[in-house]
Amino acid sequence: MMKSILNSGKISVLLAILLILGLASCEQKEYEIPEPVSGLSNDGIKRTLGPNIVGLPIEFAYAMALPKSKGKLLSAKVEASIAGAAGTYLEHRSFYTSASGQDVPVLVGSPSVKDGNATKVTFTVDTNAATLRYFYVVPEEARGKTVSFTFSATSSDGGSVSYQLGPYTISKMDIKRTIAVSNNNNAYISIEDMAVYTAATAAPVAAKIDLVYLFRTTPSTFSHALVSPGSDPVYLPGVVLPAGVNRKSKLRKVFNLQDRNLAQLQFGIYVDDKDFQEINLSDAPDYAIGLRAEAGVWVETQDKKYRAYIYLNSVNANGSAVISILRYTL
Amino acid sequence: MMKKYFQTAFLLLLIGLVITACEKDIPVDEDGLLITDRTECAVVNFELLGSDFVTVRSKVPVIDTVAQTVQVEVLFGTDLKNVYPQFTLSSDCKLDPKIIGKVDLSDLANPKVYTVISGNRKIRKAYQLIIKYQ
Repeated sequence: MMKSILNSGKISVLLAILLILGLASCEQKEYEIPEPVSGLSNDGIKRTLGPNIVGLPIEFAYAMALPKSKGKLLSAKVEASIAGAAGTYLEHRSFYTSASGQDVPVLVGSPSVKDGNATKVTFTVDTNAATLRYFYVVPEEARGKTVSFTFSATSSDGGSVSYQLGPYTISKMDIKRTIAVSNNNNAYISIEDMAVYTAATAAPVAAKIDLVYLFRTTPSTFSHALVSPGSDPVYLPGVVLPAGVNRKSKLRKVFNLQDRNLAQLQFGIYVDDKDFQEINLSDAPDYAIGLRAEAGVWVETQDKKYRAYIYLNSVNANGSAVISILRYTL
Repeated sequence: MMKKYFQTAFLLLLIGLVITACEKDIPVDEDGLLITDRTECAVVNFELLGSDFVTVRSKVPVIDTVAQTVQVEVLFGTDLKNVYPQFTLSSDCKLDPKIIGKVDLSDLANPKVYTVISGNRKIRKAYQLIIKYQ
């Protein structure tokens, strides 16, 4: 009897606790109007998507503002952990979007000055808010490393703020865009040099020639092709190879892989280091025929030194094409 | 005493529920696919895609349901080591072996054999996949 009373007592206490908890959870806190920012503040984003490739810019947007009553902006600065290559700059114009969707610039400062790792803009107009774009051209020394950025701003009331972005990993890939190739002329492609040669200029660099571009109308499905010089002659009809040009690369055709950096089209697809690390081309053939615009080819060179992705920007029925190459050193 | 009866009854009910929950009313095969009454057993259509997932056929495939062959002519230069065959079968049929990725069909002298299994899983028809170049 005593035990059951004790038990029921315990249950009552438990119920009471539960009830209190339930009530407390329903209690509403009074809304408090947030304190407005009283001084200089800032924010930043990275606008560029996809891999960070040496030679290409990475775009950032850095916003800074302070209450009008406090004063005006004096300067904005970006410091990269590795100095940007030529072409790195901090925009000295602030942009707004017009009713028609166009970005309209408003001049707010003098053109940026680069000093070592830092890029600085001094404001020349009386403004208390601005968003500046920063274009960091990835330098060669950053390849395979990480880069961090410190954005900072100063104001006339003596305030200063800073914002960290990164670290960002820089890709090991190389890029070469819009290379014109043509049948029987600029037809010899070297992945190592990321260049195209004619039969005459290919002979001295024979050991570096990985592919031959050719165009044939018969059979009709042959059309534009990239073929290893060492491939079966049936895939090189009528081609007289320069002496010593005989490498055998592995090739795999791809369609619908319009890498944004290569295609420069609307597609948001990116080929990254990981793709090159993981692709297995061991059973791939040494030719790719029947290529068309917006198609691509994965390539592995005979010496397994490089893997590449060759994208066909455009093709022409007179036997020419424009290609772009992403290359990864293994 | 009463409490014990309740406990036993509850346990029995639970066991009963578990057992009935596992009972299968609908017959399914080892792949979890429905076994039906259908006896149709044929290849209706065939497609062959290259590594770029674009067709490598040069013509419409010839499907002979009597001789049980699928004849395909592929484009010049097709890399038959890396192709993706796609079979369209009669209703409720399934294919053996299953195609789960790229297939090597480069051995033209020894055509690959794919078996179609009917909806009732009682009829099996082996189709030869005969490929030739354009």
